Amino acid sequence: MRAVWRTARAAVRRRLLQTTVIALVTLTSTAALVVALGLVDAASAPFDKAFAQQRGPHVVASFDRAAASDAALARAARQPGVEAVAGPYPEASVALPQDAMTFGLGRQITVVGRADPDADVDRLDVWAGRWATRPGEVVLNRDRDWAPDDLGKTLTIPSGPRLTVVGFAYGLSGTADAWVTPGQADALAPRASQLLLRLTDGTSSEDRLRAGLATVTEELPADALTAARTYLGLKERVSGSARAYTPYLMAFGVLGISVSVLIIGNVVSGAVISGFRHIGVLKSIGFTPGQVVAVYLTMISVPSVLGCALGAAAGNLLARPFFDFVFSGPDAGILHGSVSIAPWVNAVALLGMPAVCVLAALAPALRAHRMSAARAISAGSAPRAGRALAVQRRLAGSPLPRPVSLGMGLPFARPGRSALTLAAVVLGAATVTFATGLATTMDRFGNAGRGAYDLTVYVGAHEDGREIRPEHGDRALHELLAGLPGAREVTARADVEVGMAGSAQEVMLEGRRGDRPRLDDMLTDGRWHRAPGEIVAGSAFLRQNGLRVGDTVRLERGGRSERVRVVGEVMQTNSRMIVGDWRTLRALAPDEDPIAYHVLLRPGADADAYARAARAADRGLSPALTGPNSVTQTVVGSAAALTTLLALVAALGVFHTVVLNTRDRRRDLGMLKSIGMTPAQVTVMKVTSMAVLGALGSLLGVPLGVAGHRMVVPRMADAVDITLPSYMTDVWQAPALAGLALAGIVIAVLGALVPARRAGRLTAAEVLRNE
Amino acid sequence: MSAPPVRRSVLGMTAQDSGAVVQLDGVRKEYGETTALDGVSLRIGAGEAVAVMGPSGCGKSTLLNMIAGLDRPTAGSVVVQGENVGELSEKQLALYRRRRIGMIFQFFNLIDDLSALDNVALAAQLTGTPARQARRRALELFEELGIADRRNAYPALLSGGERQRVAVARALMNRPALLLADEPTGALDSRSGEQVMDLLIDLNQIGQTLILVTHDEHLARRCAGRIVEFADGRVTGEHTLEPSA
Ligand SMILES: Nc1ncnc2c1ncn2[C@@H]1O[C@H](COP(=O)(O)OP(=O)(O)OP(=O)(O)O)[C@@H](O)[C@H]1O
Ligand SMILES: [Mg+2]
Repeated sequence: MRAVWRTARAAVRRRLLQTTVIALVTLTSTAALVVALGLVDAASAPFDKAFAQQRGPHVVASFDRAAASDAALARAARQPGVEAVAGPYPEASVALPQDAMTFGLGRQITVVGRADPDADVDRLDVWAGRWATRPGEVVLNRDRDWAPDDLGKTLTIPSGPRLTVVGFAYGLSGTADAWVTPGQADALAPRASQLLLRLTDGTSSEDRLRAGLATVTEELPADALTAARTYLGLKERVSGSARAYTPYLMAFGVLGISVSVLIIGNVVSGAVISGFRHIGVLKSIGFTPGQVVAVYLTMISVPSVLGCALGAAAGNLLARPFFDFVFSGPDAGILHGSVSIAPWVNAVALLGMPAVCVLAALAPALRAHRMSAARAISAGSAPRAGRALAVQRRLAGSPLPRPVSLGMGLPFARPGRSALTLAAVVLGAATVTFATGLATTMDRFGNAGRGAYDLTVYVGAHEDGREIRPEHGDRALHELLAGLPGAREVTARADVEVGMAGSAQEVMLEGRRGDRPRLDDMLTDGRWHRAPGEIVAGSAFLRQNGLRVGDTVRLERGGRSERVRVVGEVMQTNSRMIVGDWRTLRALAPDEDPIAYHVLLRPGADADAYARAARAADRGLSPALTGPNSVTQTVVGSAAALTTLLALVAALGVFHTVVLNTRDRRRDLGMLKSIGMTPAQVTVMKVTSMAVLGALGSLLGVPLGVAGHRMVVPRMADAVDITLPSYMTDVWQAPALAGLALAGIVIAVLGALVPARRAGRLTAAEVLRNE
Repeated sequence: MSAPPVRRSVLGMTAQDSGAVVQLDGVRKEYGETTALDGVSLRIGAGEAVAVMGPSGCGKSTLLNMIAGLDRPTAGSVVVQGENVGELSEKQLALYRRRRIGMIFQFFNLIDDLSALDNVALAAQLTGTPARQARRRALELFEELGIADRRNAYPALLSGGERQRVAVARALMNRPALLLADEPTGALDSRSGEQVMDLLIDLNQIGQTLILVTHDEHLARRCAGRIVEFADGRVTGEHTLEPSA
């Protein structure tokens, strides 16, 4: 054993570069694997995880306190299908005065009396202050992204007591807007009792959940249940935007995993194969075959286990900003505190990657195990297959400069290893292609309609918790804004809720008036509205209401009604939103004024200066600059980071192949130098050999990446129920593809450059010695 | 049976060019602690055949490497045909080796996946000679060296003696001023060794300057006009021999 260890150590020392590369490759690919697996895992069920963590209620039910006593409710909840219960809690609906808006609360809030944030169901996260323990104290439901700056302020309830805000708690399920002690709740005249239920069969459909609730209400008076909701609606709403990323993250994850595993396999088995001659020598001096295998496994395991451990740590660090990035925004954002790298991901990385390394080392090591010492020693110089030789002969006779043709022949001398390297480059090129395509799509998606204006001036401002209305009327404001220096176009916008015949849901009708009522780059089908009585809508709206471009619908509001025709389909995620002419809007709501004015500035005009001027002109205006689109930034940013990581892994794999090739061919190299090959020619030869693989890799990888993009993008759009205009999906043009074809070559050449130059600089005497 | 005598026309510089081809002055070479060459001075004239002999590890290969421009001396000067090898850049060294040096190694150092002919043609192709022309020149050498029928074979299928003759052809490809051979018969059986030696003698007789490192005193006496004895990185003796009959 001692001999094995000592030999392995000596071998590692003699192959420092190779050992470093193995450690680096395992490091980067384990990091990529952790991020990829972590993202796949988090993206697959972000809501379910957060929900399970908080032990969220599958059913939230409210009962009439007059019809069912607390004791009766507690008894009724004891059913075989019910896994856990919280409550009954007294629940009051409280109307708030206008100035309570500063707490981010609505006008009508639900206050629940609860003694404890930790219950069997709906565990609340008290993230600031403390829980309410005395009458007169209140805890508000607010998520961690908010500032806790209202702590200690008072909330005056018109019909009752003054409550001091003592804490902020967050519950994903939104079972209340505020919590007080049960005693305090009783003083608020609660009309209902809240029961929170977790069912044993919690993952099932709405019907099953309702059936579970029915077993509870069976023994209660028929009219006791006043309201009930299941968690499925919440899940639908929250998961929506994270769901849009799922196919994209999955694609990246799968790509990341395959690149990592392939490269590791490539690097490790290559390292063993290139040691065959060394193995032969070990055998000839009396190492048993078992000892030889042990030497090689030790040599490989030490750097790779080290690399895996560091890589897993790096992956965990890297994943954090990624998650914050991906899970952001109004709905999915509430998840970002709860998503994290699952323990199984780390387990897989820490056990799986070394296992891959050892397996990759074991296969060739076992081959060496069986091989006779003499064959192992000559493994480097065995005659090769006929086809490879024919290629060399062709190349030797070609008019290409000899270093180039020699380099082109090199991959054929080691077909097995070249195939593995090729696979690495193919995956690298596919990744780069896929990611840049996706980034282009997302960029165009995020910027659609953004060129239309530089800032939005909202009507109404807030100062010290009081709302300030503009001094000017609508028309005057429009003219005022158009007259400020720098303004080029001003477009007013109003939204109004209207009913639609045949639909239970209210529809949001948006009307625009002014210089730019249409956003042409959002159009996916038909045309933009031109006259009163015409509207455009998103595909989600059309699908949900069974409509098509050309259909007519009736809009209603306050006794008025208008027939409108759908003339176009636009890219719009909001399934309740339709856009029509200003006159259509006013016909339904004659008193409705704009809520905002969109302003496009003259080229070169200062948006900040314009915003200041607008505010100075009327204190009741709130100008907001059109900022960068954070969702697009997320995807573009993460695509860039993942692409870089995977391209790095692929380049390292190529790098390693060149290091090994150089090593295998040291003697040839020494001879070539002895007959006058210059250092530059050596570099050209080595780089050419990899550029061949790079070119071939691009040829295969780029179409693969394009195919991946074609597959993933429509699924992403489907997930959020929008249709993308073709200029967003058809991102591939000949020059872009040619550029991408270069990507593979660049990956290969970058990987080859360092070892190639190193090989070029070796002195020939050194190379020829001891061979 | 020995190979047919070689025609003069295959060579470049010959004995007719007079004066010293190689001039070493106080050459030292250190590898860390080890002193491989410890102040070697040597002069080799055009058309000479010099055998360098000595125990293993005494610095013979190092000496050859210095002359071949495969390595630079730590101190002293190596001048070959007026060029100070120690002062050349890596690139200039490569060009120097191309123009002036032909090398033969104990283990042939042929490229496995090139045919015998392409191995030899390679030496000319590196200088930019077109493939067709390089192969023609290589074929001429193959014929001169009596291995023309083996030109399309791959190294793995050649006998040791044939491989070494291919290596000699490669060394002669660029008409070098100096032919350097480091134990050229060390890996061959005695009959193949004799054949390679005969070839070197023939080459020298038509004017090729030759430096030969060998352990085999018999071969050295047959082939060289002068024997330089080496020990511990120093020249310990020198004697000129009568040309053998
Ligand atoms: N690149 C090198 N690095 C370190 N030491 C070297 C190097 N080249 C040669 N040496 C050392 O220099 C000394 C001379 O070596 P050299 O190869 O010239 O001997 P040699 O006379 O050719 O021996 P042999 O007859 O066994 O071939 C030896 O001690 C050797 O270990
Ligand atoms: Mg030697």
